[in-house]
Amino acid sequence: MSVKKRLFLIFGPIVCAALIIIGFLFSPFRPDKISQSIIQKAALSQSAQVFKGMAVKKAAFKENYVPFFGSSELSRIDALHPSVLAQKYHRSYRPFLLGTAGTQSITQFWQMQGFGNELNHKKAVFIISPQWFVKGGIDPAAFNYFYPRPEIVNWLLKAKSTEEDRFAAERLLALNPKDSTDVIDDSVLRIAAGQHLTSFQKIYLHLVKNELDREDQLFSTISLNNRENLIKQREKELPKKYDIVKLDRVGFQLGEANTTNNRFGIDNHFWDHKIKPVYKRLAQEQKHFSYIKSVEYSDFQLVLNEFAKHHTNVLFIIPPINQKWANYTGLSMAMIQKFDKKITYQLNSQGFTHIANLTNEGTQPYFMQDTIHLGWRGWLAVDQYVNPFLTKKQSNPHYKINNYFYTKKWQNMSY
Amino acid sequence: MINMQPYQNPTYFLFITLALIPIIIANLYEKKLHWYQSISTVAFLLLSFGGIKWHQGIALIIYVVLEVILIKIYYEYRKRANVSWIFYIAVIVAIIPLVIVKITPAVYGGKASIIGFLGISYITFKIVGMIMEIRDGAIKEFKLRQTVEFLLFFPTISSGPIDRYRRFLGDYDKKLPQKKYLDMLEKGVWYIFLGFVYKFFIAYFFGTILLPQVGQNALAHGGISWWLVAYMYVYSMDLFFDFAGYSLFAVGTSYIMGIATPMNFNKPFSAPNIKEFWNRWHMTLSFWFRDYIYMRLVFFIMKKKLIKSKITIANLGYLTLFLIMGFWHGVTWYYIVYGLFHACAIIICDMWLRFKKKHRDQIPSNRFTKMFAVFLTFNIVCFSFLIFSGFLNTMLVHHIMK
Repeated sequence: MSVKKRLFLIFGPIVCAALIIIGFLFSPFRPDKISQSIIQKAALSQSAQVFKGMAVKKAAFKENYVPFFGSSELSRIDALHPSVLAQKYHRSYRPFLLGTAGTQSITQFWQMQGFGNELNHKKAVFIISPQWFVKGGIDPAAFNYFYPRPEIVNWLLKAKSTEEDRFAAERLLALNPKDSTDVIDDSVLRIAAGQHLTSFQKIYLHLVKNELDREDQLFSTISLNNRENLIKQREKELPKKYDIVKLDRVGFQLGEANTTNNRFGIDNHFWDHKIKPVYKRLAQEQKHFSYIKSVEYSDFQLVLNEFAKHHTNVLFIIPPINQKWANYTGLSMAMIQKFDKKITYQLNSQGFTHIANLTNEGTQPYFMQDTIHLGWRGWLAVDQYVNPFLTKKQSNPHYKINNYFYTKKWQNMSY
Repeated sequence: MINMQPYQNPTYFLFITLALIPIIIANLYEKKLHWYQSISTVAFLLLSFGGIKWHQGIALIIYVVLEVILIKIYYEYRKRANVSWIFYIAVIVAIIPLVIVKITPAVYGGKASIIGFLGISYITFKIVGMIMEIRDGAIKEFKLRQTVEFLLFFPTISSGPIDRYRRFLGDYDKKLPQKKYLDMLEKGVWYIFLGFVYKFFIAYFFGTILLPQVGQNALAHGGISWWLVAYMYVYSMDLFFDFAGYSLFAVGTSYIMGIATPMNFNKPFSAPNIKEFWNRWHMTLSFWFRDYIYMRLVFFIMKKKLIKSKITIANLGYLTLFLIMGFWHGVTWYYIVYGLFHACAIIICDMWLRFKKKHRDQIPSNRFTKMFAVFLTFNIVCFSFLIFSGFLNTMLVHHIMK
């Protein structure tokens, strides 16, 4: 065999593969559209890939999907879950579930970068968990799991030396995600220091952006959690017509039937798997828990800032805590009231006035599906706020963002 | 300045490809570009030890200068005399920096030593090997430039495979016939692409996607659970494919440069017993330990007639070897337990092999027993990796904190 032929056999396939991939990833050419059925699946899936990605979210918000920001409560898909109600009663909107166990304000802030301008002057629902507001905020491991590379690159290209961007960059550095590209790390460092990116960095980030967009389009919808059948099954448990009294009865019955093995009104399955093994240890264990002083308040401010920037009209929901359970663990209700006041002040004072405060509903039976997660009757109560908010015309919000909420002083203020 | 860790991202591979082109062309013309190779070594060292890691770069330079001086001094001494304790001192001095680097985190709560740098162990292994072979008289000539090239050979600098000086030198100087080089080039490219599959597909799946979820569940459950069992296997798969993938990159790059760096793995999970496993797993490390620690200790004990029983000597050798290996991984309880576990496993394995030899006619040997042997070995190895992973420690800490 001649040398040339052998070299061709060795390197030919590599050269071909490299050319195809480079052409594919870096070209700005975007032929395919994301189909309706994929959007529908993605909206229910709570998959990390969709959460971190951009293509599906953008496509969904062009349609009638409304983002429901939250965390683990979103996966409590019982018959009265917002996704089931919206589908059963043919509402004009469909929830796009954004968040799962482990997502908090800062993860939400980052994934919001992927919306582009799709949420401008639109509506959204945001479920706040008091449990996020522990001293150090999010667990770095959880943050890393949702590390949104495409969004960070996108954000870097737009970042300016504002309080918001500097704080976001600082938090990024503090949470120390492992990005293997030093250009990105260095760019974040520059933004945190209030400097501009170099032109090399900009060109590099543009190329990376093309590549990540492509990756996102190709791979983020692979093997999505399919919950469409689950939703269809749940729909069967509901009355044909929306009737609040009947629905409340359904919630009551479902709650009663599913919480038979414990005295706290906690879902049987959750009880068996999560609580029962550790239950003895937890008595009076949360006596000193506090959600008052936390860096999460400033992380949350990033989210508010983002909403304000895009003039998004947002309904905030503050869920309660299962009272029976709180009594057992010793969680202080006085502290929860203070948390409530502090977060409400942060919202109201900046013009976020749509707040569904359910804090005092923790005593109601079957309001929570377990310890801290909304369920059955709780979801129905949420619907009393969500439905009118999303289906009726709302006046335009007027936001006044106050950078004071980024300060340590606010984070550590006891309220 | 940019900083890049070896074989971590596409850009690094792009740089390697560009750097290798002149070397490939020269080799095809049956020439060696020694000066160019030196320049690319410097360039790649700058890439990995420059920028934000500059302090590691300084540590590396000082380390190599001092160690080369040490080798040179011992080499000059050995030409004239051969006293044992001088040899011992030379070895001890050679490993002092490594010992400091390994002990510092244990003493100062996880802080890394300032004299440390990525790959210090692997360079130290090469150096100790050289000193021992100088003593044996196997290394007859000390060449400064080649020694430095050998120690700093960039494809293997961060995590091996651990080459031997004489073997490396042979390849370094030897002009390859074109046909032979084409064979190596073909193999090198194949190894690198197999490495991609190992590291960026399989290890990514196990390590980045599966492991955090399984770990999270095992932690939440606490104690012994099926999640913990799953963690054991997932971690083992990640460990193998990640390291084997890395090793393939290093070997592949070396081959393209015309240097046949030895392989590190040879289907380790199909080993029928623990002894055979160590002939297939991280081979250059285990052979290094075998040749320079185990064999030497065994010869020493036999020569001085300290112990009579050959079995006892062998067992003592295993214990020493694996304890040192454990401490080398890091001064934590789980690395040391990991070492002891393998020492025990190999001692038991030897006992069984002796027993089997004596009772050959009574013990069945068929396809099923062979399959069972592989299965058992695989599970014992995975269990040892669970110890090695430190996850049990994490669980313990998690439990106490609760």
